[in-house]
Amino acid sequence: MELTEFIIKAIVIAVIFGLTLLIAMYSTYGERKVAAFIQDRIGPNRAGPFGMLQPLADAGKMFFKEDFIPAQANKWLFIAGPALAMLTALMASAVIPFGHTLRYDGVEVAVQAVEANIGILYIFGVVSLGVYGIMVGGWASNNKFSLLGAIRAASQNISYEIAMGMAIVAILMMTGSLSLREIVDQQHSGNWNIWYQPLGFIIFITCAFAECNRTPFDLPECETELVGGYHTEYSSMKLGFYLFAEYINMFISSAVISALYFGGYNYPGMDWVYTQLTGAFGEVAGHNAATLIGTAVFFGKALFFVFFYMWVRWTLPRFRYDQLMNLGWKGLIPLAILNIIITGTGVLFLEPYFTALLK
Amino acid sequence: MYPIILLSVLGIVVLFLGFMKSKNILLPATLLFLALALGSNFIDWNQGPLLYFYGMFSVTNLTLAFNAIVLISAFLIVAMTRGFQDDEEAQPAEYYGIMLFSLVGAIMIIGYEHLIIFFVGIEILSVAMYILTGSDKRNLRSNEASLKYFLMGAFATGIMLFGIALLYGATGAFSLTGIRGFVSTAAGAQSYILYAGLLLLLIGMLFKVSAAPFHFWTPDVYDGAPSIFTTFMSTIVKTAGFAAIFRLLSHSFAGIYDFWYITLAVITVLTLFVGNVVAVYQDSFKRMMAYSSISHAGYLLIALTALTAQTERSILFYSMAYSVATISAFGVLMLIAKEKSLDGRPNESYDAFNGLAKQNPLLAFVLTVSMLSLAGIPLTAGFWGKFFVFSSAADRGLIWMLVVAVLMSAVGIYYYFRVVIASYMKEGNTGKIRVAPFYQIVLVAATVITILFGLAPGFFEQLL
Amino acid sequence: MNPTLSIFYFLSFLTVLSALMVVFSRSPIHSVLYLILTFFCLTGHYILLNAQFLAAVNIIVYAGAIMVLFLFVIMFLNMKKEDEEAKTNLTKIAAMIVAGTLFVILFGAYRKSIIGAYNPYEYNSQVGMVESLGAVLFRDYLLPFELASVLFLIAMTGAVMLGRREVGERHF
Repeated sequence: MELTEFIIKAIVIAVIFGLTLLIAMYSTYGERKVAAFIQDRIGPNRAGPFGMLQPLADAGKMFFKEDFIPAQANKWLFIAGPALAMLTALMASAVIPFGHTLRYDGVEVAVQAVEANIGILYIFGVVSLGVYGIMVGGWASNNKFSLLGAIRAASQNISYEIAMGMAIVAILMMTGSLSLREIVDQQHSGNWNIWYQPLGFIIFITCAFAECNRTPFDLPECETELVGGYHTEYSSMKLGFYLFAEYINMFISSAVISALYFGGYNYPGMDWVYTQLTGAFGEVAGHNAATLIGTAVFFGKALFFVFFYMWVRWTLPRFRYDQLMNLGWKGLIPLAILNIIITGTGVLFLEPYFTALLK
Repeated sequence: MYPIILLSVLGIVVLFLGFMKSKNILLPATLLFLALALGSNFIDWNQGPLLYFYGMFSVTNLTLAFNAIVLISAFLIVAMTRGFQDDEEAQPAEYYGIMLFSLVGAIMIIGYEHLIIFFVGIEILSVAMYILTGSDKRNLRSNEASLKYFLMGAFATGIMLFGIALLYGATGAFSLTGIRGFVSTAAGAQSYILYAGLLLLLIGMLFKVSAAPFHFWTPDVYDGAPSIFTTFMSTIVKTAGFAAIFRLLSHSFAGIYDFWYITLAVITVLTLFVGNVVAVYQDSFKRMMAYSSISHAGYLLIALTALTAQTERSILFYSMAYSVATISAFGVLMLIAKEKSLDGRPNESYDAFNGLAKQNPLLAFVLTVSMLSLAGIPLTAGFWGKFFVFSSAADRGLIWMLVVAVLMSAVGIYYYFRVVIASYMKEGNTGKIRVAPFYQIVLVAATVITILFGLAPGFFEQLL
Repeated sequence: MNPTLSIFYFLSFLTVLSALMVVFSRSPIHSVLYLILTFFCLTGHYILLNAQFLAAVNIIVYAGAIMVLFLFVIMFLNMKKEDEEAKTNLTKIAAMIVAGTLFVILFGAYRKSIIGAYNPYEYNSQVGMVESLGAVLFRDYLLPFELASVLFLIAMTGAVMLGRREVGERHF
């Protein structure tokens, strides 16, 4: 690998990593502001202008709280729990294509940490590992509430992973590729997958809510029944890690949703913008500018879904446990199978017709 | 080939038939499906050796004949399952569906050409058996048997897979022909990894057909499972299992006969000894039948150990004779056990048979014929089965094994006759047992087949 | 030693070590966690062989689903107290003899056999890619692939049959 390429790649990775953390951090602030707006309050407004420094203040508070490990807890696993949760949450962003390519000094570098030809499976695998952080932490706390929360989390994640995987299968049948970049590239300009996969999208986003343990699926930390759920015994930054991992997961899943269904960095009229920019700034700078605009569009879409998460959280009540299981197994999985069948039929018979219609 | 596809699809159809309100259609439908499968089995008859699906599955007249035995046994067994819909808890559609699916597994391991087909087939067969063993949910013994069978079976599967992996490592092939090609080379005959792989694979296979010393699960499982599924296990699994072992040894490993025949000979003698001697001490007829199935595995192993040109026919004839006799014996047992049930559980001890002949001469006769056949008394199919097996051993010159086998057959006569004596000589108060017409046909058919092939074994030869 | 080889040895060491720890761990939870680690190491091996699809599927299916269920069940069983089932000395000795013999046989077999020389230039690095895997799976291995679904159908039917709530059982 050329040195320039390497350096650009390293910068891209560092920026993506930093942005993920930053967005997750300000999601906590956003959550409180959105909650305040929906409940007709003001929200945090003391730390800095508009309370912008609130996340930093929270982090400081977290760090200086007493780090407490229960006497009968399994010490190593108690520490491993939040670490695992954080690790798996951060790993997923590696294959997400945040933008097209950047050109510098004759080399083209993709705005993506790693391009893997099994990208979507990688994300799916990492997401399926996310439950270990919760389970290990919940079990190691040696607390019945924690254990129940952990078990709820595990069964919920496993149940919804199936429907989620099947929703992805329909996308894969359409695109014929497992690479996220390839999937995004096929949705050039306005040709987004959401037009073909509305049902798949609804299934996917429902499952994404369940996978992130967000309301209305936040039964693992249901405070009316389980005190604090799996993180009952946690304090200080360990608790912070769990909460933080949830926000990272939210951002990652929003990014995946926008990449899979909303065209990623593609937007209508992008070709026109591209010609204008290359005309104005030259081949290289114009290309880079167009890529950056695409990346900004991508983040815009992802942040909208982060907002959507919050919107739902402060609007909908929580499910009951049997409702959750019924929805997963009797509602979403059959729907996902139906979606696969419809997609298969469409791919086999209708595609020429529809593509002709869209052109 | 065709029965595999047909049974896979029809099994699903049976599951869907379970949605219907009336459960009465399930039995005739399943029988019809089995008959269809049997018919489709003979589409390939005399078409010569065929390979299907890129050399995955092979069809010869021999495998078709084994398929026919398995399918006919299944037909007879399913015809005896009249009792399912009396039980309000039972879910007949699931039972029939699983039985049909398990036949897919049996046919797969009869005609496999590629070890992955063998593996998937034996898993289909085993998983179906684990479930059927535990299907009597309220019976603690059934649950225990199922769990025991599952744990031990999973372990045996692991060993078998390890063996397959080693075979692949040694030969670089999964197909029987590929392995044979490697074995026939000079390097292949000396490959120790191949030897280790073969041994492990054989251990896994011998476990499934319950040869000693891998037989420990057999008595408990056969005893704990509902009798109808014990019949299924002791006939179909055994027939298919021996067909599979025979296929492996004759097709791929005939070249290193000198290596494996010693191992197999020791296992054979041990199986004969354990099966027959322990059977003597049993008080329960069903448990005796479990040990008897071990001993019959021993007789079949003699034929395998000999591996002469006659072996395929002797195994075929023996499994046919054994299956038919076992089905009729269990058929009678189920009737009597239900009639004499203690505390709502079937009574399967020898005492239940006391004085059977007085009021139920037909049942007693059927039982006697099947016992005679299992013991290998002349004029029954079992005699000729043993005769063919022993003569192939004599051809190989395995005289010492023959001596053991004949001695053990003599022991066998003792415990098989106990139940005959009980039903004719002992005093008992068995009333007239009402036998459903379907059931009666099955019992008579099985008896007729046993006697027919006992009188004219050449008839069978002509069929093939 | 080239880097791939060093990674291979390191991964193999880790695999064997974690596999041994599965057996030697006292607590079942630890065993399960070590087993997950073993699966991760195996995934590493798949990646070394450039079999990316298998690597991902190994993680999703084994580490992500099956082991979670293992952990799930073990967490429900309260195995905190160390009440090991007492085994008789006879069982222990017999098990030791059998395992030892097997080990000696396998060790001898490995030691005595000649593994064919390997030519790295003949190795097709694309063989583990999902495209070639799919082609093999849906052409050469079509029959076992389809029949595996019969196996799962049986297992599913059986699970429903055995797990179905019966008349008179508790409803909530």
